[in-house]
Amino acid sequence: MKNGITLLMIMATITTLTAQNGRATTIKKTFNRSTSIGITIKADPAIVWTLLTNASDYSRWNSTIISLEGDIALGEKIHLKSTLDPKRTFKIKVKEFTPEEHMVWGDSKGNRVFTLTQNSDDTVNFHMSEKMGGLMFPLYAKYIPPFDEAFEQFAADLKREAEAIMTTK
Amino acid sequence: MTKEELTTTFEEIKGSLKSYILRVTASIQDAEDIVQDTYVKALEKIDTFRGDSSLKTWIFAISFNLAKDNLRVKKRWTENVTDICKEAAMSNRPFFQKAMEIRTTSPQGQFEIKEHIAFCFTCVSKSLPLEQHVCLLLKEVYEFKVKEIARITEISEAMVKYYLHTGRSKMVDVFQGRCALIHKEGVCHQCTELNGIFNPQQKAEEELVKIEMARKAESADKEHLFDLRMNIVKGIDPFESDAAELQLHHLEHNREVMEKYLEKNKD
Repeated sequence: MKNGITLLMIMATITTLTAQNGRATTIKKTFNRSTSIGITIKADPAIVWTLLTNASDYSRWNSTIISLEGDIALGEKIHLKSTLDPKRTFKIKVKEFTPEEHMVWGDSKGNRVFTLTQNSDDTVNFHMSEKMGGLMFPLYAKYIPPFDEAFEQFAADLKREAEAIMTTK
Repeated sequence: MTKEELTTTFEEIKGSLKSYILRVTASIQDAEDIVQDTYVKALEKIDTFRGDSSLKTWIFAISFNLAKDNLRVKKRWTENVTDICKEAAMSNRPFFQKAMEIRTTSPQGQFEIKEHIAFCFTCVSKSLPLEQHVCLLLKEVYEFKVKEIARITEISEAMVKYYLHTGRSKMVDVFQGRCALIHKEGVCHQCTELNGIFNPQQKAEEELVKIEMARKAESADKEHLFDLRMNIVKGIDPFESDAAELQLHHLEHNREVMEKYLEKNKD
């Protein structure tokens, strides 16, 4: 029993570490698909949060975003153009918003969740996931491009920009 | 801290404080009023100065507090301010007549390209969000440290770093896209155009060689070119330079034009 618990704890630790390595993982199921990524950033959470919530500044630092219009605040609608599908403008709503901790954007097809967790060593864990699905999902699943590469680029850009800001003297 | 010590320090920094407020408000009258109010406020609060920052930082903090609610400080201009104001100036005969009069009669009426570069930065940097604008000026022009800027603005050090980084990035890109002195595709030639009007005997090319930023336009990267631009701004006191009266006349014109423009386009 004790060995079993230890094994579970080790597995949980490995999962957590893997989730912070800047590599995206995707889990595909019949009625949904979810992609997630985690990365550790050596920066103040206020900086990371401001980068994530300043719509007009996104395209400057984030190479996966062509444009982002609107006010990233609870209940607000934002218009997003992404390199994943440059011809399309995604109209999404900010559904949850807890400063420097948690934010959810989404539409009827899925939600993107952003989470920040401050560590004791002046770093912050950034985690982003997106789950899409529904009863009709199998019909359009093949038209949705994979997110992995864009997620990895998003996380890498965020890390690079936040850490560059921290080096400002 | 005695009133005499405060007055002595205030007199020493008054010039830089006034030019800083001018760059934030773009108004001569507001700059003079806020500097005066800062002195009065500092005298009132002299007993609260604990020495945990320099007196200069403390005075700039008082000044920032007085300035931040000023309507002209809050008003943000647009990146293409020089285009908008140029168009307005072309049909404003009295503006040019007065400028020519200053040019020919005032000891502070010279036109120099580097003075106009500093003037241009004052106008274009007003397109930044206020926090970015103030942090950028305090750091790049007035050489305060991040910690001091945090104290002046009551913004956390982390966020000061964010505003500095984003403000600088934006200005680097705006000038890279607009300024013909540093980029062949730049759309704004106003400094050399005005040099042709105010100094018809001069050749702009000969003047530009004297300016390191223009000389290094092709060899230096855009970050370094921005540093060189900041060196020019740092070296010019808009109230005391040889071109002060001419440039202040121009700044007042631009402010009036932008106030009308913003009013007209507020929605």
